[in-house]
Formats: sequence, structure tokens, C-alpha cells
Amino acid sequence: MTFTLPPGLALQKVDERIMTLNVGPQHPGSGHMRIIVQIDGDYIVACDPDPGYVHRGEEKMAEYRNYITNIPHLERPVIHDSCNVLYPYVLGAEEILGIEVPERAKYVRVIASELNRCIYIMYWLAIYGIFLGHSTMFMWPAGDRELLIDLMEKMTGARVTHAHFVPGGVRNDLPPNFEDVCLRQVNYFEKRIKEYAAVFYDNPILISRTRDTGVLSRQDAIKYGTTGSVLRASGVDYDLRVKEPYDVYDELDVHTNVMKEGDSYARSRIPWLDMMESCNIIRQALQKMPKSGSVRTKLKPNPKGKGLNSVYKRVESGRGSLGCYIVSDGKTEPYRVKLSVPSFRNLIALPNLLRGEKLGNMPSVYWSLNYWPVEADR
Amino acid sequence: MGTATGIIRALNSGIKHIAMKRFTLRYPEEKLKFVGDGYQFDPSTGVGIAGLKGRHMLFHDHCTGCQLCSIACEGVAEAIAMVKVPEEQKQNKKSIMPQIDYGKCVFCGLCVDACPFYALYMTNDYELSSFSKEGLIYTPAQLQVKPYVAQDSEIQISDRGATHG
Repeated sequence: MTFTLPPGLALQKVDERIMTLNVGPQHPGSGHMRIIVQIDGDYIVACDPDPGYVHRGEEKMAEYRNYITNIPHLERPVIHDSCNVLYPYVLGAEEILGIEVPERAKYVRVIASELNRCIYIMYWLAIYGIFLGHSTMFMWPAGDRELLIDLMEKMTGARVTHAHFVPGGVRNDLPPNFEDVCLRQVNYFEKRIKEYAAVFYDNPILISRTRDTGVLSRQDAIKYGTTGSVLRASGVDYDLRVKEPYDVYDELDVHTNVMKEGDSYARSRIPWLDMMESCNIIRQALQKMPKSGSVRTKLKPNPKGKGLNSVYKRVESGRGSLGCYIVSDGKTEPYRVKLSVPSFRNLIALPNLLRGEKLGNMPSVYWSLNYWPVEADR
Repeated sequence: MGTATGIIRALNSGIKHIAMKRFTLRYPEEKLKFVGDGYQFDPSTGVGIAGLKGRHMLFHDHCTGCQLCSIACEGVAEAIAMVKVPEEQKQNKKSIMPQIDYGKCVFCGLCVDACPFYALYMTNDYELSSFSKEGLIYTPAQLQVKPYVAQDSEIQISDRGATHG
């Protein structure tokens, strides 16, 4: 029986000894996507990622809703990182609608964004642990994530999809006594994630499984257009919070973590270092934040864009730079909303990374790309 | 660092957790504590008040039947329908009030932001499961009831780790 590939996919049957293997779309090792790999014995000779199983038409949906009602569905692509997914849209909508943001709201946004980044990375790390068969690393991040989810719940009223950012600021002010609770739980959280070093990152078993697998060189990382932790793990010092500061990031001291190796180990370690950096940023923001003041500029009920106008904004999300291009034609609905997502850009590197690897290394290489299938398909 | 040392250190790090307190919550017996009395919105300043976005609460004496909550929900979940209220209940001129289908609601709270008459708030009630689809549809009379929510557990941090207590 011969296996015929669906049209449009890059792989072709080359030899009798080469077997084509579908990983996904329902395999726990792939998420909602399929990776077609051709293997020669235990070694991968070619690989073709096939995303698109969870396409929801977010961009088209955004053309039929006004600038406010777009908020709940645009944060759905990554529910764990919902503030960061919404951030570029909100920044763009502010420019199109011509709204000023109060100073306190900018700090609240930065805190929410950094907490969300940690929540996302903890979820990602939990799955990375279970991909490698490390059950402890599945349980610990999944549990310690609760500390931050609790903070987000106090702040926004929802545990995952917060719908907290709006053009003009944030929906509600911080609850009373939030600063103390936040500082206490973030400090404890940082203490906890430092314990992961002994059990996971310095663990010789993890190092032997991830060191020198899926090496992405500095040139290739730039050539493929990867972003975020993948780019920084290949030795490129690039973080939008530093390079193109938005909101109040230019007033905060942000350190970029860079590693030179470009292998799976470096790509898995960078997000962990980023979490500690996020804790630093939260502490700085809590200290510098104005203690009182408005958090939202009042909007008209159905705000309209000013004439024909387009804007592109991008932010550093948990996975990399996330951009949003909005075109307005002066109506209450945007004419076009385009999301440029980091997951999809990082996925482009996958065929190159897997060539010549063992099949057993596939999960560690694939998930170290910080890839989120739902976001890539949007 | 040698392989053996690394593995022993990893094991040691796990063993330390035997002495630590349990972080998880025994859910149906213990319940989480929330800030405030649910998400509310002040139309005069345009800023909300922090709280959990749970089941809604409708104040019949404030509701004018203006349908703004229903219009706000149109692009989001289409969960709010305006229905006729029976004669014996307190009612407005138009005699219509929102009815919310929690099978569709995404708990974003934009309907609360839309209400200019302080009539629609959200409460801390999050246990809405039902055996039927009809059971998830809350009529204006059901939305009027202020729920009782047990709140006893908060995250405590001590030397022996964080715990819900």
C-alpha cells in the first residue's frame, strides 16, 4: 500500500527504506497540528509541519466588530497570554482613535503583561517537562502558576481570558492592598522558580537530551525571521521591550537574556531566565507606579477611527514579537486587522532543525521553539 | 559537575518537598476568596471596580430596558436577550429586561461597562453548572437574586512554602 501525501505539502516519497510518519494532529506530542516526518531508521531525513487545524478566522471576525467588542475574541488565540496578545491591538487602536492613556494605566498594563508572560511560560514549561518525561517539571510549574493566576484574578476578575486592556487604559483600577500581595507572591514565585535549576536545568539527564540537538545558528535564526526566545537563544540580543519600548518600558530597567548555543537547551533556558527578569520588572513597576490617578480615558460609546489611517504596533509577548496591523476607513469597525504572530515565524525553522536528528529528539526540539498552534493558525 | 552529583542534587531538591505544606486546594470543601463583591462599573467616571467576573446581578428598580447590554453583547457572545417581564414583577416602561444564557456568555463584562444606569453588575458566583441547556438560561427574576458565595481560602506564604488557608 502506498501512502500518498495530500497536494501542497513539500514532502515526496523518495526511497523504499524511508518511512513517512504523521505526528498529529491528535498526538499529545504535537498539539493541534501535524508534523509529517520522513524517517530513515531512527533518523529524520525531512520534516514538513502542517499547521492550520485550529484556524478560527480571528482577522476576518475583527472586521465586523467595533473597536471595543473586538477585545474578547482577539485574546482567544493564546488564552494564557491574553494580555500580551491584546496589547498590540490596543496600542494600535489608541493611535487610530486618538486617545491618550493615563500614566497609571500604563504601569498597570506593564504589570499585567509581565504577569501574563510568566503565566504563559510556566504553562509552556510544564508541557516541556512532560514532553521529556519529567513529571515533576509538569507538576511544579502547573502548581506555582497558581500564585500568578491568583494575582491576575484579583486584578482583572478572570483567571485566564481577562479582557482587561481597552483602548484608553485598563478596565478597572487595582484592588486595595494589591501592591503588597503582588510583591509578596512575586517574591515567593521567584524563589520557587530558582529551585527549578537543581531539578531540571542542571539535571544531567535533561542536559544530555537537549544539549546540541536542533542547533539553530545565529545566521539561520535571523534568516528565518525567528523572534523571541528562539532568536535570543541563538545569540541575537533582540528584545522589543528594549529596542522599541512601548508604554513605560523605557523608564524601567530591562535586561535581555542571551545565550550563544542555539540548541534546545538554550531555547528552553531563555524563557526561564525571562521569568526572573519579569519579576524584576514587576517590582520596579510597582515601585515607580503613581499611587493614585485615573486608569482609563473615557471613550464615546461607539468610537470611530479618523479617516483613512493605518498603524502597525508590536510588543514582546511570551513567545516573541507580536505585531498587529490595523487599517481604519473612518467607520466604527476596523477595515482590516492583521496579526503577525511569533509562533508561526518560529515554526519556519522547524524543518531545518529536525533534519538529521533522532525521532526521539523531536518533541524537545519542537516544543523548545515556543510554538503555540492556536496562535499560529489564529 | 559530574552526572552522579547532578542526579543526587535533583533528587535532593525533590525530597525537600516532603516537609513542605500542601499547596493545592480541596475544592468543593474549601473555596477561594475573592476581592470585593464582583466586577462593577461606574459610568460617571468610566472606570470599573475590581472583582470577580462571575454570574450577573440585575437590579430591577434601575433597569430601564434600554437594551444597551444586549447591543454590547451582540459582537461578543450574543448571550443577552431582552425578554418580557411578567406583570407582577417590578418593571420599567418598556417592560423588557435582559435574560442571560450562560451557555454562551464568555464573562468579559462588557455588558456591565455598557449599562449607564447602575443596573447590571457581576457577582462572585462561579458555580453555574447545570444538567440541561435550559438550566443555564437565567431569567430576569433569577438574575435579581444575590448569590451566597462561601469564601474561606486565600494564599498564605510561610517558611514551609505557600498554602491555601
